[in-house]
Amino acid sequence: MITPLTYQILLTLASADAHGYGIIKEIEEQTGASSAPTTGALYLALQRMENEGLIEESLRRPGPEDDQRRRYYRLTRRGRATAREESARLAALVAVARRKNLLPARVDA
Amino acid sequence: MRLTEWLLGAVLRLAPRWFTDRYGDEFLDTHRARADQAARSGPVAAARLSVRELAGGLWAIARLRAGVPQEFRFALRVLWRKPGYAASCIAVLALGIGANTAIFSAVNAFFFRPLPFADAQRLVMLYETNPEFGWTGGLAAPANVLDWREQVGAFADVAMYTEFLNRVTYVRDGEPALFGAASVSGNFFSVLGARAALGRTFTWEETWQGRDAVVVLSHDLWATYFGADPAIVGRTLQIGIQNLEVVGVMAPGFTFPNDETQLWQPLGWAQENRREVWFRRAHWVRPIARLAPGVTRQEADARLQAVVGRLQVDYPQTNRVMGAGMMPLRSFLIREVRKPLLILLGAVGLLLLLACANVANLSLVRAAERSQEMAVRQALGAGPVRVARLVLTESLVMAVLGGVVGLGLGWTGVRAAAELTSLGITGATSLALDARVVGFSLVVAVASGILFGLVPALRPAGAGLHGTLSEGGRGGSPGAASHRTAGTLVAIEVALALLLAVGAGLMLRSFWLTRQVDPGFRRDGVLAVQFTVPSSRYQERDNVLAFYDRLAETLEARQEIERAGVIGQLPLTGTSWSSVFQARGWPPERVGHEILHRRADRGYFEALDIPLVRGRLFDPSDRPDGPFVVLINETFARDHFPGEDPVGQRIAYDRAATDSSTWYEIIGIVGDQHQVSPSLPPRAEVFENRNQDWRRTNWVVIRTRAEPASELPLVRSLLRELDPLIPIAQARTLQDVWRDSMAREQFVLTLLSVFGGVALLLAAVGVYGVAAQAARQRTREIGIRVALGAAGSDVIRLMLRRSLGMVGLGLGTGLAAALVGSRVLSTVLYGVAPHDPVTLAATVTLLAAAAGLACYLPAWRATRMDPVRTLRES
Repeated sequence: MITPLTYQILLTLASADAHGYGIIKEIEEQTGASSAPTTGALYLALQRMENEGLIEESLRRPGPEDDQRRRYYRLTRRGRATAREESARLAALVAVARRKNLLPARVDA
Repeated sequence: MRLTEWLLGAVLRLAPRWFTDRYGDEFLDTHRARADQAARSGPVAAARLSVRELAGGLWAIARLRAGVPQEFRFALRVLWRKPGYAASCIAVLALGIGANTAIFSAVNAFFFRPLPFADAQRLVMLYETNPEFGWTGGLAAPANVLDWREQVGAFADVAMYTEFLNRVTYVRDGEPALFGAASVSGNFFSVLGARAALGRTFTWEETWQGRDAVVVLSHDLWATYFGADPAIVGRTLQIGIQNLEVVGVMAPGFTFPNDETQLWQPLGWAQENRREVWFRRAHWVRPIARLAPGVTRQEADARLQAVVGRLQVDYPQTNRVMGAGMMPLRSFLIREVRKPLLILLGAVGLLLLLACANVANLSLVRAAERSQEMAVRQALGAGPVRVARLVLTESLVMAVLGGVVGLGLGWTGVRAAAELTSLGITGATSLALDARVVGFSLVVAVASGILFGLVPALRPAGAGLHGTLSEGGRGGSPGAASHRTAGTLVAIEVALALLLAVGAGLMLRSFWLTRQVDPGFRRDGVLAVQFTVPSSRYQERDNVLAFYDRLAETLEARQEIERAGVIGQLPLTGTSWSSVFQARGWPPERVGHEILHRRADRGYFEALDIPLVRGRLFDPSDRPDGPFVVLINETFARDHFPGEDPVGQRIAYDRAATDSSTWYEIIGIVGDQHQVSPSLPPRAEVFENRNQDWRRTNWVVIRTRAEPASELPLVRSLLRELDPLIPIAQARTLQDVWRDSMAREQFVLTLLSVFGGVALLLAAVGVYGVAAQAARQRTREIGIRVALGAAGSDVIRLMLRRSLGMVGLGLGTGLAAALVGSRVLSTVLYGVAPHDPVTLAATVTLLAAAAGLACYLPAWRATRMDPVRTLRES
């Protein structure tokens, strides 16, 4: 079990490395500005995730336009595995929710 | 918001070291980026983010430092979940605490900050008194001070200085500069315990012969003008006409006795002065003494009185009624700001109480919303004490946050105010954000947190558990008891607001009346410049007079300038010297006291439109060598020549005038000009002719056709043409002189008005909040009444009855308090009594209207609701 914020950070870093503000912006885009964590909550989580070996500092910079001074984070192997496990767990739960008519049936293209 | 960033930085210091080392900079970077983004979405988003970020930061620190009490984390979570509520509470508190911080910083500067002198509490200011002339705390005659110094025996030493700076000219590379020079006795520095940073200070012997020999520079002058040249000590500078050896440079910040002191010169008396009558008759030095070790002020005063009594007997001609006294140096320094500061401190205290009542009301509303939750918590085993603690912790957290924000606001405010206006903070007093100010703000914050937290904290304990739970699931409607509490709070708010508004109203009316006073001269279109004709190149009287004549001609030859004249001191800037006088033919026992003196010429009266009431003004037939002629003002004529014609009378400035006295003929009476301030009546004054009583330093008043300040460059260039080495010491328009003479009143008024306005607003918001909540709780009842056919006006009347009742109670209490409390203002008011009925009536009306509107709006809105919908909803 990981917290929703941990999961959201894992999701954000799954596609690209990001710095602290980048993570916040992405979360805002995904779930709306009001659900973004405060800076305090973010760094509390980043600190814990680094301790637990889910993320680490990245030395590569995604693009030249990005701020070189900022510290970027990337997923570790373990972080990626945790994200996968949590996604599978949530997907299973969503399937249950769908069966119980809590969610509309999936409409695939 | 830079403030939030600063506060977050402060919060981060509470985090464990390893966390700030690794994440600190990045944390603030990220916050800055978010704040920039939020600022682009508008002030509301920015404020919302600020509150959330602060709460989030505190919460993270609390988590990092495990073991922080649960109540604390709970309180922080509340701030996060209810940012609007938290922000309003914090804002109201920050306003109250900020105002207190600002005023307290000023109080701290004057009352508590250590004075920059060694062992300052042993320093006392001495003064002379004269009950016949009404002198209290007056300047002293040098001969008397010298006797005190030698005979009292309770002083380690007594020093003297003159209060006004001389302007001395120094020329370097053909460019003149003016320095502010203080005249002091040789032991001035040693009495104050001030040491030189370079070289030495004066010796006592230099009091007597040192004026033409030595000078001490201020650190500032040395650093800025002389390039901090360490070899300056020992060099000789030509200052004025004298060649002075620089013997020392003072430490940074030492400028006593005046903010603008740039150098110190010895008073430079001759030993034989001590035997001359004028040395005991003219009162013009400030004595300052250091008490001898082990001697109390009372003992020193007793011994001083003994010497004073002896001098009265020994020198009846000058000392018959001269008394003396002493006061601590600090009391002397704060004597003029003490009263206004205490008034302001009282005002901000009231404002803070009002803010607390306001926040208490807000949290009461919130407690009502939460009563269900609290009752559940109690039912689940949280004791009433624990619930109260939870609520109180929340109040304290908000109060401390409000305190920190308020501290920032207040400190910024007072520093801005100190820059904009002269608060009278001299070289000896200084503003500083020291432990005392910070401590004061935090104590005030915690006290207000407890004050406003207690009301809702005690509520859930008092409300019956069963009663609350069985009130149903409608979010809890508080009973009559809660409403009474809210009503009392509102009444308190209204009363406090009325008290503050009455104070502001009285000051406003007093200030308005002061502004209406005709100062006795024309203020529009007059420029005044002051300069000194240097004695090095204008040694004889006739050189000086010729210079002023030529200057007037040059100025008036320009078509931009209508009229120019000379005056020793501008009106509304204080008094220079005063004396007694006798008129020819008066019996020996008849003496006129306390007449003021200024020197002027015809141009002064004409440029300023000062009316000639009788007789004539000065004219060229009045030669420098006499016969001597003077003008007097109307007050002089009324006070000293009642029922007589003063014109043609002859006066001498002597207590026992004889044929050998200098006699002046009164040639005319001119209109009164206020000498000190518009709120102080004009005093009897005599004008000497500037050709006969001549000085090198004068003001030249210039009436211009255009905006006077814009003609300063012209005046400067005309003066430069006449003599390129005479710098202008000061330049002011008379409009500014007039405005500055009321600056302190205006400062106090401005602050009181702001406090009064904020109080009015807070009270109106408080009344509105309670009225709106009452309306919300009665929507169902109103719905039924309207459905049954009640008219809107009936409903409004019903709703207003209760809310107006509490407003009325508040107004009554406030009015009673104002009648008693406004008396503290009596000494600062001009032309208006503290219980002025017009002001009281106007204030009550204003407040009643605001509160009435605040009651009416929610009631009116309740009647507009669709009864069907309200009934269905509930």
